[in-house]
Amino acid sequence: MSDSAVTAPKWGSTEMLPLPGRFNTAVRSLVAQRRAATDCQWKDVVFERQFDLFSVDDARAVEQEALDSGYRFEYSATVSLDSEPDKYKRVDREARTFAEGLDSDGRRQVGVGDNVIKKSRTVTGPVALVSTIEQVMEFLTDGIPPGTIAVIGDSGGTLTAPIIEGFAGVICLGGTVRSHLGILAREYDVPTLMNCKINDLKNGDVVELEVTAAPPASDAYELGDTGHARIWLIENEG
Amino acid sequence: MANLNYRTLLETNNYLRSLSDTTYWLCITRTVQESKLFPMNPYMLVSYLNSFYRLPTLLREIDSATPAEELGDRAREVSLKVDTVNAAWGMPAFYLIGREMLMNWGLIRPTDAVDDVVDVLDFSRRFNLAYHRNDGHLTNKEFGDRSQFLPERTLQVFESDLHGVVPGDRLHTAATKLVAQLSQYAFLAHCECRIGLHNSGPYNFGDNRQMIMRDFFDLTEGDYPWLDGIASQLPFNNLTIPIVFKGTNFHLMDDWASFEAEPGYNAANIEAVGMYTSDALTDGYIPVGMDNADTLADTMEQYREILNEATTDLWKRIANWSREQMIDAGAMVYSSVGKDFAHLAGTYRQDYWFQIDERVQRFKPLLNDEYGRDNLGEMVGLLGLPHQTSNEYTMARYSDLNRNMLTGIPFSVLTDDDYAPTAGDQFTGSSSLPEKTGLWTTSAGRVDIDDYNQRARGFTPAVLDGRNRFLDEEWVKWNHGTPQADELYRLTQRGSRNLEGRGSGLRRADLPAAREAKE
Repeated sequence: MSDSAVTAPKWGSTEMLPLPGRFNTAVRSLVAQRRAATDCQWKDVVFERQFDLFSVDDARAVEQEALDSGYRFEYSATVSLDSEPDKYKRVDREARTFAEGLDSDGRRQVGVGDNVIKKSRTVTGPVALVSTIEQVMEFLTDGIPPGTIAVIGDSGGTLTAPIIEGFAGVICLGGTVRSHLGILAREYDVPTLMNCKINDLKNGDVVELEVTAAPPASDAYELGDTGHARIWLIENEG
Repeated sequence: MANLNYRTLLETNNYLRSLSDTTYWLCITRTVQESKLFPMNPYMLVSYLNSFYRLPTLLREIDSATPAEELGDRAREVSLKVDTVNAAWGMPAFYLIGREMLMNWGLIRPTDAVDDVVDVLDFSRRFNLAYHRNDGHLTNKEFGDRSQFLPERTLQVFESDLHGVVPGDRLHTAATKLVAQLSQYAFLAHCECRIGLHNSGPYNFGDNRQMIMRDFFDLTEGDYPWLDGIASQLPFNNLTIPIVFKGTNFHLMDDWASFEAEPGYNAANIEAVGMYTSDALTDGYIPVGMDNADTLADTMEQYREILNEATTDLWKRIANWSREQMIDAGAMVYSSVGKDFAHLAGTYRQDYWFQIDERVQRFKPLLNDEYGRDNLGEMVGLLGLPHQTSNEYTMARYSDLNRNMLTGIPFSVLTDDDYAPTAGDQFTGSSSLPEKTGLWTTSAGRVDIDDYNQRARGFTPAVLDGRNRFLDEEWVKWNHGTPQADELYRLTQRGSRNLEGRGSGLRRADLPAAREAKE
């Protein structure tokens, strides 16, 4: 360990995902160069000269190199896109799509998900796609139309914190039944499917949620045994 | 500073590997958490780094004022924020994940900061052993995803004093609505993370009934600057709601305080509820509105109204924050998971827990949303950081992969001295959020932090005072009915509506049940 040369870990290669691979490799290379430029023992460099090894300007340079190459990042919080619009792709990540098909009873199935609370009857209503602070503010001001089923892209509970109780149902495109939104759905007794794959639903499409389905077993996410609750399109605005 | 020898390193690496396995299991049973409101993944990475740089110094100061095992004793007797998810799991895990990030970037080696790693894990292990003293396990995972730290004397008071309910009656409705509101508000106040709410149990209440404890923390003016002026009509900062279910087996209570039950959690199966508060200054659980069912329903309805309004007020405040303010707030929520240790020890200082260290600030430009998400997923889900791979013959617990989330300390530190033993004391820090100006809400009223620290330093709960501290459940088994055991039980029975002064001889069949709704 006292060897000052930088040794790659024996069994590892590089990161599996592209952006961590790109950024982390850049940081590792830079730090190794800075380290090589000193002739001190490692113990005298690691914390004593840590800002020489890596500084805020170095971090900016790593990001700038990616942006200069034309790369634009995916955003998760809308505040990120709003504050630095040139840094992020404008489009949402593609929702995981469901291969549309007719159910055995002839109805058009447009999605699947994991049921949070088993109910005695399915829930039907028009969908509202909710993804921005402005939409939540409008619902706060004008109220939520009765029977509305929210389609929420993230599995967090804070975007819709002041209004979640007002929805007749929720389709969440991420998470699991143990995610924050799943927990809140259970507490508020709002019929909810998590981890959904859906076809392209538009505001006003009327859907039926199979909240009569059994929730996933406790080991379902380890085994991949998920997505048993169905979503049907009853009618659409077109 | 750590006493570095072969034994301490063996113990450290054992605990570290256990945390690594458990944390992997916890992570794969969820997905990467995201929010349209908060840049969660970037703030989580900031928090891990902040924990790495600041936590060892903070814990050493706390430990010298009040040893970790004594803090575990305190946390065991009441519901405090230093609980399973915050202190038992989060605090050491966040610190170690920060270490992984720096190691992966080549900024430290696994031998660096070894004294810090040993000290943090030693503190954490001593706390956990004392906190879980009654069930004898180190973690919920080790106990088969179960958490039973309360003694009989406390559970007897709950069983006797909780108010019976039936679905649809006023108290049942008030309790279920308040729990939902508290959950919602806690996620928001904690910037989309779950550390403001906690669950423990289950406890066998007989007759096919189980009781779980539902705790909610930091509800109004206190450590979080963004709660100044929010929910200020609420008289308490923490609330605990014990809930008794019939016909429901809570078969999982994991180290993130998540539960699963068979059949599923259903409010229709709630048979009894109560409400208590506790904090660093309370001598046990303090009943809140528990005089009768109507008073409890009144109180719950009133609190629900306060918190409903507070949710909207706080949401509007947060919705106006900049990206950096959201990142700072979320990061500080995470990296301050051990802050209530400082409240117990009377060493709390706002700037120590609610600033981002300047060593961390330098990494922020890397942390866009996509990198935040993918680097976190890489580190705790895929275990794809190059150094997380071990030799090709190994098969890790749960995954069977030759990958581990957390990296052990090489034993070479015992013979090779080219490493830095500590990251050093705190550097200056900063925050983009407005400074805290409000007071701290405690069971002793709203006080400033000097007053709060002074009161905490001079306080020991009666059940932990002197030789009482070591009168555990095994001792009670052999000494029930003695004057000393009766006195111990009477200390917990203070304020109980039905058990005041009854002593240590009671068993379940002797308890005066208070199930008004069924009678």
